[in-house]
Amino acid sequence: MKGASSGARYSMIVPTELLLAALCLWAAWYHTPAGALVRTAGAWFFKTRSTARPLLSYYGAGVYQPRTAPPPLLAAPVPPTQALGYGAWAVFSEENRQGESPAAMSAQIKLLSSRLAGSDAAAMLALFCGEESARFALGQAGAEARLDELARELPPRSADCVAQASQALMQAGAYALAWPLPESVRITSPFGIREHPVFGVRRLHAGVDLGTPVGTPVRAVAAGVVRRASSDGVNGSIVVLDHGRGVVTLYCHNDELLVHDGQRVQRGQIISHSGNTGRSTGPHLHYQLDLAGEAVDPLRYRAGHPKTAAAAASD
Amino acid sequence: MQLRVAERMGRVRWIFLPLGLCALVAVGAHAAADVVGDRVLWCVDRVDAFFDALFASWSVTAPLVDLVGLSQRTFFARAVALVWELCADALIAVPILNYQERAAAQEWQLARALLRKKPTPQRLVRPAATLLVAVAGACAVARMVRGSVQLGAHSSLLSHLLAAGTLLALLALLVPRAVFRSLEHADQKERAVSVGVFGTALLLPLMLAALFASPLLSFFR
Repeated sequence: MKGASSGARYSMIVPTELLLAALCLWAAWYHTPAGALVRTAGAWFFKTRSTARPLLSYYGAGVYQPRTAPPPLLAAPVPPTQALGYGAWAVFSEENRQGESPAAMSAQIKLLSSRLAGSDAAAMLALFCGEESARFALGQAGAEARLDELARELPPRSADCVAQASQALMQAGAYALAWPLPESVRITSPFGIREHPVFGVRRLHAGVDLGTPVGTPVRAVAAGVVRRASSDGVNGSIVVLDHGRGVVTLYCHNDELLVHDGQRVQRGQIISHSGNTGRSTGPHLHYQLDLAGEAVDPLRYRAGHPKTAAAAASD
Repeated sequence: MQLRVAERMGRVRWIFLPLGLCALVAVGAHAAADVVGDRVLWCVDRVDAFFDALFASWSVTAPLVDLVGLSQRTFFARAVALVWELCADALIAVPILNYQERAAAQEWQLARALLRKKPTPQRLVRPAATLLVAVAGACAVARMVRGSVQLGAHSSLLSHLLAAGTLLALLALLVPRAVFRSLEHADQKERAVSVGVFGTALLLPLMLAALFASPLLSFFR
């Protein structure tokens, strides 16, 4: 009798263990960099194409990856209330998908957001992954959840649409940014490859230089958290603001910093006074926009932006 | 008939069980490393600010400030998390592959003998880290089951039931086994002091991170 009951238990446990082991392998295969390494090695060995993502993209739930192409040029300034629509429109444009106008998309996202506890992240997820996915993720992660927290609730097959939603949300964050100085301030050195004025080597100028007198108030371009407020001999007094959703802005060569590490700032709040500190050839503010850790031209996200010195001279 | 199928499966248990245990711990280590990404970025920021201030002091080293520029910090933070996770995998997941199939009674006897031994940092930290990481892994696997069933079968009740069942089964069948293997391995490697110190320094923060990555109660709401 005892043997029969232990036999029955054995017959239940072994298949359950097999099933659980298979589930763990499935999760590791798709959800860990170690799994990606094995997949890549397997593809290399069998000379096939690996579907594994780059190893570092497995962090932050795989969201907020750098954009592969610059966003489409803007015909008119972006109304702040339509930034989300512009973000979605930019992703649809990149993939050559026929989408609606940014204004129509913005209205659609607002409608989705109102049905999804007012969460912009969930609304964007609904636009790209479907409303059921967004509603489910929101139910599990909570109304205040960020996109990466929502993404963790979805199965691996949602990775592509999550990447599109995160890209759209990140672009929207960039479109919604204000400008750190008055619009009339001229750009003395634009974004792009140039000869470094101090080091004398050709390298990417990762931001725009705005020529302005020492002591000009510098304002936060959006609400965020001060990730760094420090000084060094190259960048001078520097403020780094994290606006969330993969959007980070940097303000270098300041004269005086008015914020400290970890401080929460509001859009338009004065964070520093511009200066001429660090390796600088004249009073200016170096303003830089990073999306997913990659520097991008902030002027691509603004129509009717301040004129560059060269363009102004030719007027 | 059912018993015969189970017996056949039992013959390959020595292959699938260590692979499953190793995968469970690897999933947990990733869940833990991923959830503290912001903290890692904060640490990288502090280190970067320190070195920027240092290198900028001399003209010879000044260009190095831009070498690890402001834009590369996210890359570095993720690289740190990746290295940390892979080291943790090497310390607590890979040794599980060295699996020995034993009878349950013999296994239980061995576990009791190991628990009676004098506790050392190695014998405490490795199994404790494996326990917390494996629980985080069980939560991650259950979450995947919940998401896949919900979006495949469109049934909230079924997805929650299956996720809770998966979690409980993992906690009952695989997690204790992983901890036992870890204790056994820690006992064998106890003399390697350097590995012990390195491993402890690496695993202690991972244990904390694993706690954040284990929303156990969310599966029973």
